[in-house]
Amino acid sequence: MGRVLLACAAVTFLLVLIATAPDTRPVISASSQVVHRPVVQDGPGLRALQARYKTLSKQLFQLKPSQPYILVDTARNRLYVKHQGEVVLDAIASTGSGTILDKPGDDSSQWIFDTPRGEFLVQSKLTKPTWIKPDWAFIEEGLGVPKNAAERAEQGVLGDYALGFGKGYFIHGTLYTRLLGKNVTHGCIRLNDTDLKGVYTLARVGTPIMIF
Amino acid sequence: MNFCAILLLFALTTLSWGKDLEAFPNLNLNDHRSVQEATRVLEEELKLAARPHTYVLIDLVGNTIHIKGRGVELHHMPIAQWSVGSWEKLTGIHRLVARPQVVRRKIEPGKGDEQEPISLADMPTDYDLSFSSGLTINVAPLAAKDNLVQAITFMGKSWWRRVKNWTSMIGTDQPSTSAASLEVTVSVDHAQSLAWSLVDGMAVLIRRAADQ
Repeated sequence: MGRVLLACAAVTFLLVLIATAPDTRPVISASSQVVHRPVVQDGPGLRALQARYKTLSKQLFQLKPSQPYILVDTARNRLYVKHQGEVVLDAIASTGSGTILDKPGDDSSQWIFDTPRGEFLVQSKLTKPTWIKPDWAFIEEGLGVPKNAAERAEQGVLGDYALGFGKGYFIHGTLYTRLLGKNVTHGCIRLNDTDLKGVYTLARVGTPIMIF
Repeated sequence: MNFCAILLLFALTTLSWGKDLEAFPNLNLNDHRSVQEATRVLEEELKLAARPHTYVLIDLVGNTIHIKGRGVELHHMPIAQWSVGSWEKLTGIHRLVARPQVVRRKIEPGKGDEQEPISLADMPTDYDLSFSSGLTINVAPLAAKDNLVQAITFMGKSWWRRVKNWTSMIGTDQPSTSAASLEVTVSVDHAQSLAWSLVDGMAVLIRRAADQ
């Protein structure tokens, strides 16, 4: 019993020692970060470096979109149209749910309903779009996939406009406006009618869409 | 009088435009090492910004994590505290190879609206990110000031991490030099937001603090 207690005490002591030992890595608090070295004039070397820095800064600036672009925040379900750093339009959106659906007859394959991240371009602008329901839309509802293509067409569910940005993804309207602000879609980006019209007006084919 | 006003307006506009062109407005242009580091980061960033992908810039001078695309800041998260293992290994572009798994909910066909999507709240708050270069970034949450239980839990995890580092150091008899590590402490919301924004293969750049 005494030995057990002694062993426990030794282990506890060791753990306390480790926990209170100084970390070998420097820990930097954000508030202590405004530390600049004294002003030094380093002659031509520094001047050349400053010139290089300014040139590179300019090059980076030139890569920024000069035209309005669409920015989508999938975590907070917001869509912005921005131009030269200013927000031109701010809309509550619905983006991908992140859920998965098994493909029938295939043991390993699945659909993942994420909104894609990265940079895209507006590839098409449609008015009065028709939704051509993909296979997953039927399977999700527990229905069979129709063989006749005409049975896939559904009018009036995507709103008045749609902006395609590739691989079947669109910015479009919705009947379910109460779900705006939530991650509920199959990857498309939904907006209410007013915001959709605004985005449709501001964007052109080729307008960049940045999604994160 | 009018001419003076126009001249003043022009001068102010030019000045602010010039500042916009600078990639790092907080840079001390008289500090050789700071400018050198900023230039190095810009050279790397230009490669990333030239492509249609989002990337992450961890700015240890400005204590901010930036999600960027084409040189444009899409989102940013303040860093409360950070610590670094080896400075040299933080240079270059790091590609994300492993991140925390998110449990996705599976859709049961025919169940309709009953299925809960994933949201920001489902994202982890304390996690490791592994990169192809061998770099590991540990993201740790900052406890809320009025939440003692949370503070104790986070402190316990931090201690446990230290114990693990310490024991691994004993095993090798010296600090590990083969892999770099960076620990960043951010708020719980920002830890979840970062986990959400990351995608496989995403590029990460680190701007090191020249004063270290």
